[in-house]
Amino acid sequence: MHLHPIANPGTPAVEVRDLHVTLGNHAVLRGVNMRVPAGEVVALIGPNGSGKTTLLRSLLGLQKISSGEIRLFGHKDIRTALPKIGYVPQRINLESSFILSVREFLAMRAKATRAWFWESHSEVDVRLAASLIGLGIESLLDRPVAQLSGGQLQRVLIAFSLLRQPELLLLDEPTAGVDTPGEQSFYELIAQIQARHHLSVVLVSHDLSMVYKHASWVYALNGVICCEGPADQVMNAESLKEAYGIHVSTYHHHHGEDHVH
Amino acid sequence: MFTEPFMQRAFLAALFLAPLCSLLGVFVTARRMAFFSDTVSHAALAGVALGFWLGFGNPTLPLVVVSCLIAVAVYWLKENTELLTDTIMALLLSGSVAFGIILLTALKGKQGEIQRYLFGDVLAIGWPEVWLSAVLFFVVGAGIFIFLNGLSLITLQQELAHVCGIPVRALNYAFVIVLTLAVTLTLRLLGIILVTSLLVIPPAAARSLSRNLRQQIVLSICFGLVAGIGGIALSYQVDMPSGPVIVLTSIILFAASITVSKLSKRALSASA
Repeated sequence: MHLHPIANPGTPAVEVRDLHVTLGNHAVLRGVNMRVPAGEVVALIGPNGSGKTTLLRSLLGLQKISSGEIRLFGHKDIRTALPKIGYVPQRINLESSFILSVREFLAMRAKATRAWFWESHSEVDVRLAASLIGLGIESLLDRPVAQLSGGQLQRVLIAFSLLRQPELLLLDEPTAGVDTPGEQSFYELIAQIQARHHLSVVLVSHDLSMVYKHASWVYALNGVICCEGPADQVMNAESLKEAYGIHVSTYHHHHGEDHVH
Repeated sequence: MFTEPFMQRAFLAALFLAPLCSLLGVFVTARRMAFFSDTVSHAALAGVALGFWLGFGNPTLPLVVVSCLIAVAVYWLKENTELLTDTIMALLLSGSVAFGIILLTALKGKQGEIQRYLFGDVLAIGWPEVWLSAVLFFVVGAGIFIFLNGLSLITLQQELAHVCGIPVRALNYAFVIVLTLAVTLTLRLLGIILVTSLLVIPPAAARSLSRNLRQQIVLSICFGLVAGIGGIALSYQVDMPSGPVIVLTSIILFAASITVSKLSKRALSASA
């Protein structure tokens, strides 16, 4: 059973109060309230243009807000909280012509390998090794980051975001461009990492069936929070219709898992 | 050729500026900023004209100042208007050239300067330019390696860099100013029209032979040195302007690197 985040005591990883964001003349977020307790996986769902990315950018301090308040780990100054945050961006935003290798990319983030340019590959690999266990990316170290497949890149981005031991992981459409088996193993990896490091996770996703399976709390956004609650309560036809404006069907598979389409 | 004082100055300037431009070029090409470099180099013509109009004997200072102002104007307009970056740069580039040519034509006895700056002139490189190049080479070279991680992450993805605590805006402005200084000093060697080639061709040649950023940086610096020093020596031997010879030398290096890359890939696939 999941508690309502407001009822969960302690300093939350994320607290958003009455957030308004206007882009040009369009009020994208109109009074959003949200709370991510420490150690929970919270999903943010909603149709295209509902403000999911704007909300995530606001949490990262990348988006100027019109009014309201954002606190990360109790800090109003987002820059103070940045060292505690790991961020996995969407694949489509990476500069594809840049030849940075996976080894170089990871070495830039790890404190022990910041001077990678002047060190041999084997020295860098030894220092990175402990951080890469269980992620299955050892064989990718020589490959350019921007030329990886969707699934490979997501693992590398996860490894990168974990190198400084974050307390909050923000995932922006993490499985865009990843095939279905890859998607499943990605979410299983996130679940393992989340359990191992007791991380708070904010997951922005279109993939309702994966959200249903992995998130403990769901916020359905469409300019405002249309509904929120444990996944099994929010992911019903009525709530989803409110968020998406169209009928979204849920059905029960014979292998025992609910799916949402 | 090394006994001629003007050749000594040209060699020294190339020794500092060619590797510096090739190093900066790795990031210029990855960030698709070649047109930006063209814009600030063309803005130099307005700086030269203003310098002569204001009575400067050597217009290097006004040239650098005007180019830096145009560089900052590009970024300021990009951040504060809804104009596309290409539109802003085209506007400022053509405006600066038109202003420079009109002013230089109006100033008596200065029309010949247009050609000298457009196509470069090794005779125009004095000791102040050589010293400035040396300072820029050491300061910027050190700066790039100190901020290499931040600059690389910004190049890969700005938002990711921000979340890693990198001061994205400050580093972007610093890069733009440094790039502008390198371009404005190098244009005495290559000329306004050709200066961007030293930022683009050596890194492009290096990229086709590289598998990671470190290899590209090292190879790009080497190619830049060969093109700069070799080009000046060759231009002296064949009695041709240095700018075009440097550019053609770097294009030969580029063609050679593409050929080697293709051949090695073919050999690799044949042995597999």
